[in-house]
Amino acid sequence: MKLMTTPLRKLVCAVAIAGTAGVSMTSHAQEDCPVPGNLRVVIGSTSTGGDTYQNSSIVADHLAKKLDINAKVDAVGAMAGFRALDRSRNGNTVMIFHDQAYLGNLYGVKGYDNIFEKYTVGPTVAINPGNAYLVPKDSPYQNIDEVIAAAGEGEEIRVAIQPGGVSEIGFSALKNAVKLKHPGMEKNVVAVNTGSQADKNQLLFDDMADVINGSVQANEQYTRLPEDDQKAMRFVWLTARNDTIKQTNEEGMGKTTREDLLQYVNPNVTVPQSESQNFTFDKEFFFLYNKDMDPKLVSCIDNALEEIYAQGDIQEQQKKSFFIPNFKPSSEAQAYLKDKRDQYATIIENIQ
Amino acid sequence: MENQFLSLFEVSIAFEESHLFFPRIVSWVLVGLLAIILLSKSKKVAPALRRAGQAVMHGSDGFDRKRFFGTILLIVIYFYMMAVVGDVFPNTGYGFLFVSIPFIFLLALLYVDEKTKKNVLVIALTSVVAPALAWYVLSELFRITLP
Amino acid sequence: MEFLSYLSPMFFTLIAAGALIGVIFGAIPGMTATMAVAVCLPLTYALDLTNGLALLLGLYVGGISGGMVPAVLLNIPGTPSSITTTFDGYPMAKKGEGERALKISIVASLFGGLFSAGVLFYFAPVLADFAIKFSYVEKFLIIFLALTVIASLTKNMLMGIFSGVLGVWLSLIGTYEITDGGNGETRLMFDFMEYYLVAGFSLLPVLIGIFGITTILQDAEKGFKGDAASPTIKLTKGSRFSFSVFKGQLVNLVRSSSIGTFVGMLPGVGGSAASVLAYTQEKNFSRDSSQMGNGAPQGLVASESSNNALTGGALVPLLSLGIPGDSTTAILIGAFTLQGIQVGPLFIGDNLDTWYIMIAALVIANFLMFGIMFFAIKYIAKVIEVPKHLLYPIIVMMCVVGAYAINYGIMFDVWTLLIFGVFGYIATKVGLELVPLIIGFILGSSAEVYFVKSLESYGNLTIFFTKSPIAVFLWCLIVLSLAFSIFLKVRARKKESFASYS
Repeated sequence: MKLMTTPLRKLVCAVAIAGTAGVSMTSHAQEDCPVPGNLRVVIGSTSTGGDTYQNSSIVADHLAKKLDINAKVDAVGAMAGFRALDRSRNGNTVMIFHDQAYLGNLYGVKGYDNIFEKYTVGPTVAINPGNAYLVPKDSPYQNIDEVIAAAGEGEEIRVAIQPGGVSEIGFSALKNAVKLKHPGMEKNVVAVNTGSQADKNQLLFDDMADVINGSVQANEQYTRLPEDDQKAMRFVWLTARNDTIKQTNEEGMGKTTREDLLQYVNPNVTVPQSESQNFTFDKEFFFLYNKDMDPKLVSCIDNALEEIYAQGDIQEQQKKSFFIPNFKPSSEAQAYLKDKRDQYATIIENIQ
Repeated sequence: MENQFLSLFEVSIAFEESHLFFPRIVSWVLVGLLAIILLSKSKKVAPALRRAGQAVMHGSDGFDRKRFFGTILLIVIYFYMMAVVGDVFPNTGYGFLFVSIPFIFLLALLYVDEKTKKNVLVIALTSVVAPALAWYVLSELFRITLP
Repeated sequence: MEFLSYLSPMFFTLIAAGALIGVIFGAIPGMTATMAVAVCLPLTYALDLTNGLALLLGLYVGGISGGMVPAVLLNIPGTPSSITTTFDGYPMAKKGEGERALKISIVASLFGGLFSAGVLFYFAPVLADFAIKFSYVEKFLIIFLALTVIASLTKNMLMGIFSGVLGVWLSLIGTYEITDGGNGETRLMFDFMEYYLVAGFSLLPVLIGIFGITTILQDAEKGFKGDAASPTIKLTKGSRFSFSVFKGQLVNLVRSSSIGTFVGMLPGVGGSAASVLAYTQEKNFSRDSSQMGNGAPQGLVASESSNNALTGGALVPLLSLGIPGDSTTAILIGAFTLQGIQVGPLFIGDNLDTWYIMIAALVIANFLMFGIMFFAIKYIAKVIEVPKHLLYPIIVMMCVVGAYAINYGIMFDVWTLLIFGVFGYIATKVGLELVPLIIGFILGSSAEVYFVKSLESYGNLTIFFTKSPIAVFLWCLIVLSLAFSIFLKVRARKKESFASYS
């Protein structure tokens, strides 16, 4: 038995050494940077296989190395995450979450407060550019314009989404676009509320939805299936900004290259948001802190991240996992996210 | 005719209210079953309650009040203190480590039949080694979050 | 056969290490295979894909298998899917046949694991196409089928059904999760409870509370005198293990493994349904099931072969649809993405080498798990010789660790242990049956989602009968299973009255 544990112990040691070996380039004095020796990073997702966890662990690892501390990502989920944050005045616990944090509030989901009032919004770290909408490969709709037009002509368009957040915002935008182009017809765009990606796909296979929300990462292979396969799908719309997709690696995802992906984003695919503007949505990951947390610690994490991003290793790692590096220090991130929130608030108000 | 028959089974659920749909059905089934049980066993209920009350109050029927309530009390203190101590040393697992030691010691002492010197020594040793080992392996090696 | 070049000594060592750690995690009440995989995931960052997969699959197989140990020895299921292992395993342990029971379970596990690996290897793409024929309606019916089998596990039909429904009711407390497509509203609680109950009661703390803490309270009530005072169980008292136990068990093995593999394939149905279904099918359809529940090897065989067959089953949708079959395989997706490998319907074709490596790792992991467990069992089984006054406090401590860690650090989950420990104690006093209750609890929330979503989509109750031939077939099974359990109850009662008459 002892024999078998030895390699593992070595492995554990190796990882531990790797963790501590990358001692910070600049030594932070305790007064400037009152960072706790054991930092707990809670995330708004309960899945340790999902994008939030992955991205957060990349960031937490780099941060731990830079600040020479222990950082551990705990996938506690949104509600428990907010609560852990509420209790942690001294900054022992921080949260990494994405746009769901304020979208949940906009959609009135229970338990989501206004993060801009209740917490301190910290730096943004990355974008998941993969938020996508798909149709069956043999769908009559060739692109999102045809979907909007069909709804305008009175056809019912069923869109499978997870309600109350990131998955719904594209749906709301679509509804809003129909309203702009064909006032009064937006009622033809109906949400089919469901849960996981598996459930959304299943609705498409069962012909219970015309369009589903999905992601480049999870659905790309389905788009490569032959048309006669019941499971075959086609992208019609990526909500990301053109600039975001441009930053992905050239190979893109699977056999769909960056060039291919660019076909599905603005301005090649347009979903109008207002008279003058097209809708885009990037799923951005950012930090959230307790309101009472020491401002010194806020700037300390900002500075550490700034150095990490200046070094450049993290970008490579993020891009390898199909994330777009996107560092904005706290103050910039706050203003930016607030503006983003306000824009989406208008859309949601519009279609109510 | 057929359509009429089908429409009998039509159900429409408003999304805003959908969280209550299934719980309501289950609650009613539960109440129904409870009513059947109470009716069919109505004669047995009162005496059974009296017997249980006596066991708890007077320790009849071989009910060991000291050990039973002692267990519950110790567990309550254990859980409570763990969180309190854990808050003093955040994210280290010390709350678990420091509170588990006296807990195991006291609970084992409560349970042991003969408090011989040897037994107490074994208990003391276990109550230090077991939490320390669990804490070291889980919290330090595997980095599992502990209170 | 290029993939053979990947099979280095490191590969085998990592599988062995994974299996060992997995077994230990599975064996600790409250620690699960999922947790084992989750905590070791960061270790794979330093490894390449082949070796990373070796470690993770070893952990997966080991973790699922380890659950049998506390189930048999302590009557506490180490993982939810080993509930049915306690039915016959613990009675055997009480008779002094703990070691025998564990060995039977290990052999059954090995069979189940290999069977499902075989199915995965030969039929994955075909099965995936079959699995997507199961929409909300069919999934609900599968869960309903698993719920109806509660009837055949009860001692008193009325109380058993009441307990099952109560279990379902308890599982609904909390939020109708938006991640399941719900509306995020809470129900079955008062406003002041919302702070704690917003996420409801978590399965694992409920499970170990009801099985672990309840048992401790029951023994505390008796005051550890007489029977409870010292471990009267002697390991070598009963009959010894021999492979002849498996004579006549082939049908059971194949049936249970098939059920396990198939249920594992259906995302969202939940692994625990597999062992429950397999156990009751054995009870209903075997020639002689009179001893089941009192320490019959066939019960162990059904339970353990089906829950290990989950491993291969859950990998079917992962590798041929990109959709995890259970919570453990959900973490594997993360491992793949980290290595830049994309899962989906084209995974197998695009990554033939990785595919062969995974099958090889799965098969090897099963054998290594078998090797480790089979020879370590003698020492593991000694656990029940530890005096209870030392064992019980340690069990409480480990339950705390498990409960706290399952959702990555939530104190309310620890209190859930106590709440359900006391609840379980009272429940048994008033004649409720804990097994139907916990099965109801496990299946309740997915039953709700699929039931409500079916009606939301189709708007008519008749859809449950008319959706597809599969639905009709499932109804036949439900009727059969109900008829059988009633038939068995009647027969048992007749026998009883006959016995008392003579």
